[in-house]
Amino acid sequence: MPKCTINGKEIEVKDGATIMEAFRQVGEPIAHYCYHPGLSVAGVCRLCICEIEGNPRPQIACNTAVTPGMKVSNKTEKVKDGAKWILDFHLINHPLDCPICDQAGECGLQEQYMEFGKYDPEMAEKKVKKHKVVDLGPSVVLDSERCILCSRCVRFTDEVSKTHELGIFNRGDRSEIGTFEGKKLDNKYSLNTVDICPVGALTSRDFRFRQRVWFLKEGNTVCTGCSTGCNVKVYFNKEGLFRVKPVYNEQVNGHWMCDEGRDVYKFVNRDSRLLQGKKKSQGVWSEMSPGALALDAGNTIKSTPPAKLAVVVTGHASVEEYEDLLKTFQGTFKTANIFHWLNNQESFASFDGLLIRGDKNPNTQGLKKVLAKNKIQATWSELENLLKSDSIETLVVVGPENQAVYPDFAEKISKFAKVKNLVWLSSGGHNDFTTLPHYAWLIPMKTFVEKSGTFINHAGLEQKFQKVTTVVSEALTVSEVCRLFQGDKTLSPNPSRTATFVEASRSQDLVTLEDRKKNEFVFKRGPL
Amino acid sequence: MEVKLLTEFYHLEEFRSLEGYKKNGGYLELNKALKMQPQQIIDEVKASGLRGRGGAGFPTGMKWGFLPKNGEPRYLLCNADEGEPGTFKDRMMMERAPHQLIEGMIISAFAIGSKKSYIYVRGEYDFPIECLRVAVKEAYAAGYLGKNILNSGFDHDLDVYRGAGAYICGEETGMISSLEGLKGQPKLKPPFPAVQGYLRKPTIVNNVETLAAVKYIIRDGAAAYKKYGTEKSTGTKLFSLSGNVKKPGNYEVPLGYSLMNLITQEGGGIKAGRRLKAVIPGGSSAPVLTADEVAKATLDYECLSAMGTMLGSGAVIVIDDSQCMVDVLGVLTHFYHHESCGQCTPCREGTGWLNKIVHSILEGRGRLQDIDLLLKVADNMKGRTICALSDAAALPVLSFVQKFRDEFEFYVREGRSKVKGTTYAEMHH
Repeated sequence: MPKCTINGKEIEVKDGATIMEAFRQVGEPIAHYCYHPGLSVAGVCRLCICEIEGNPRPQIACNTAVTPGMKVSNKTEKVKDGAKWILDFHLINHPLDCPICDQAGECGLQEQYMEFGKYDPEMAEKKVKKHKVVDLGPSVVLDSERCILCSRCVRFTDEVSKTHELGIFNRGDRSEIGTFEGKKLDNKYSLNTVDICPVGALTSRDFRFRQRVWFLKEGNTVCTGCSTGCNVKVYFNKEGLFRVKPVYNEQVNGHWMCDEGRDVYKFVNRDSRLLQGKKKSQGVWSEMSPGALALDAGNTIKSTPPAKLAVVVTGHASVEEYEDLLKTFQGTFKTANIFHWLNNQESFASFDGLLIRGDKNPNTQGLKKVLAKNKIQATWSELENLLKSDSIETLVVVGPENQAVYPDFAEKISKFAKVKNLVWLSSGGHNDFTTLPHYAWLIPMKTFVEKSGTFINHAGLEQKFQKVTTVVSEALTVSEVCRLFQGDKTLSPNPSRTATFVEASRSQDLVTLEDRKKNEFVFKRGPL
Repeated sequence: MEVKLLTEFYHLEEFRSLEGYKKNGGYLELNKALKMQPQQIIDEVKASGLRGRGGAGFPTGMKWGFLPKNGEPRYLLCNADEGEPGTFKDRMMMERAPHQLIEGMIISAFAIGSKKSYIYVRGEYDFPIECLRVAVKEAYAAGYLGKNILNSGFDHDLDVYRGAGAYICGEETGMISSLEGLKGQPKLKPPFPAVQGYLRKPTIVNNVETLAAVKYIIRDGAAAYKKYGTEKSTGTKLFSLSGNVKKPGNYEVPLGYSLMNLITQEGGGIKAGRRLKAVIPGGSSAPVLTADEVAKATLDYECLSAMGTMLGSGAVIVIDDSQCMVDVLGVLTHFYHHESCGQCTPCREGTGWLNKIVHSILEGRGRLQDIDLLLKVADNMKGRTICALSDAAALPVLSFVQKFRDEFEFYVREGRSKVKGTTYAEMHH
């Protein structure tokens, strides 16, 4: 555990720690572009130079290990001047694309320029021209002129996704990022390269030109794409959600997330939601407010004998909601017909080696745990038998938030449609419902972004998430619906249920908000 | 006055072949060395004061001493990339005396305990590569390479590896990267090659001339080698003399020899009617010397280093007063811009920027502040990069502008060369 002095402060660091990590430890992180804690050290941007006492030449902090008694400073004139010139070298061929570049507001070059640059450029020659708007793959667009050749994306495809699609071609200041012959950047983690790119060279085709980042707020939550439960943050404003980025969690997802999870915001936005409660009575659809609809459905449920009442649940709701559901249906309505809708169980065990798992529900484990705790042992084949023998009068379905990962959706609807009364709790507005011939109640539900709760991922890890924003304010959570079924009209959340966001184990690698304000590039300065 | 230590038999056509080489004392030293202890050879080389002849001048024996003594497999790499502009001495050796290099390499490999070595030759050297390949074949056939060389129990394999046109592959870690099949981009140091180099094993990278000199140190002993040269710069060196001299070529002289004598005696002097203006003493990366400084310079590491330049690879480029210094600088900045590998930002952008500024001046679009800008940019490229190419690009710019500022100012003000009176287009039509 060597001791060293960083900018005059003496600290003790782990064995083998680099100067970069030591600076982070004292709370004065050094600006950098090519270093990334999840990738190997490249040492090519040279921005992290610092002065070590006794060494006439400035050294880079990311690759130099701390030796006992080392005295390092990055506040000397030599270092500040050097860093300013290195930033200058980054900028001399950089195009003036800020007005049209997605990265504006969270750009590494902009951050450092505002931090210690703010000078007039001395470059009066013509800038190097390179390819712009290059389709590297189906989801990533490259602009070579903006690229500062930090090689983070190349190292990512070599070390993390191990798909080796990217390389740097040509030499010197004619270098450009590109894909190798015959390859496209189409692996399942390709959008991580857009996250780690410090400038606007790699942009996401999905997000390109859609919103300026300073108009977006962000909120941390858990991805519901599969049972891994990567920690993510969603960016949103009153128009809806715009994109999803990973949050570092050492145990669950490291620094990364998969491309499938990036689409989770799509089924949250208004254009794919069920906005109004719909009731089908004697073949005629009418609209009702969700609360009234739930009360109405509750009357039907109360009048159904327990043996003819069944509930189908998917793994998309939170543990607290499952508990409320069981308290209501097992406790109040006294039925044991609670069935777990497993969409593609055969592939549940599949794992691609990095993050993507075959179980496309975030809370299968949570549901299983709650069912087991309450000793519900009903199997799916029992449900099928009950349906076939027309023994179910009222079926309550807690539907999936993301219909796309339920390939048997349409088939199941036609099966469920055989019952007399179908109460469907759905966040998405599905077209399939227009064909239901019996009495049906379609209650709009809130998505994971709009509520707080706990998911249990594949490994049994409990992850609490907090409400980020409200997209459809009339929609209800499962807990609220359950209360309404029982006739209880209070909608306020149970005060003992205030969930707190358990921050991922903060290792030294995690960038704090204060860091980001100063030197990292993921910072937006708030509304204009 | 020339010394014929390494170059003694270069005038003989037959010296290239194994037969001719052996007739003139070939492979006797290998025999002698294999009967010594490896550490003895290292000590002898250390005592001789031999310094790297490729450019950096690092004491060879000391470099060999950095290797771990644990018997871990290690590699010997011969740097025959010879990329430094103005240098063509190694080419002569590979063409005329490939066996001399091979023998020097086997002795050195034996000293450091290496079982495998490579000669990395720049791709443009077609004929030298062919000469080397033929020589290696001959050496294998005669038992000087392969298993149990001369019944000593020492195995050694040697391969000739061809580069593909990159100056940066002459940088030792750039060469190691290239040899590993990667892009020839230098690696971060530390770890240094002697600890972790080729394939992450301890590696020694030495220049062609350095390895060949080892043979003569073994033959005559360290004391005899030290008789040549100065106290800190011992031995002889091959100098590639080029530029505005009557007799350009390679000359072997003892270190400490007067630079002026090399130009006027061996080189035959400047053409009639012209005067010496400047000399680049050690390859294009060495700061230029004015004619007054040349008069005081001796060709050894200390003197040139004290004068603010370096001995480097020993490429002496002579410039007379008919040359426009701005034009000459334009050639150099173009070279460095072309050859920068592009890994680290100061060099990648700086070489391009310097080239653009110099060519702006050459094309008549220069501004007066460009001259100071050249100095600022070059100054800020130094000391902040992974390898020394950035320094090598910056030093000529700094020295040319500082020592010949009047030519630059004239060119900026009038848009044409002070020396030639003509514009760039007219100079290079």
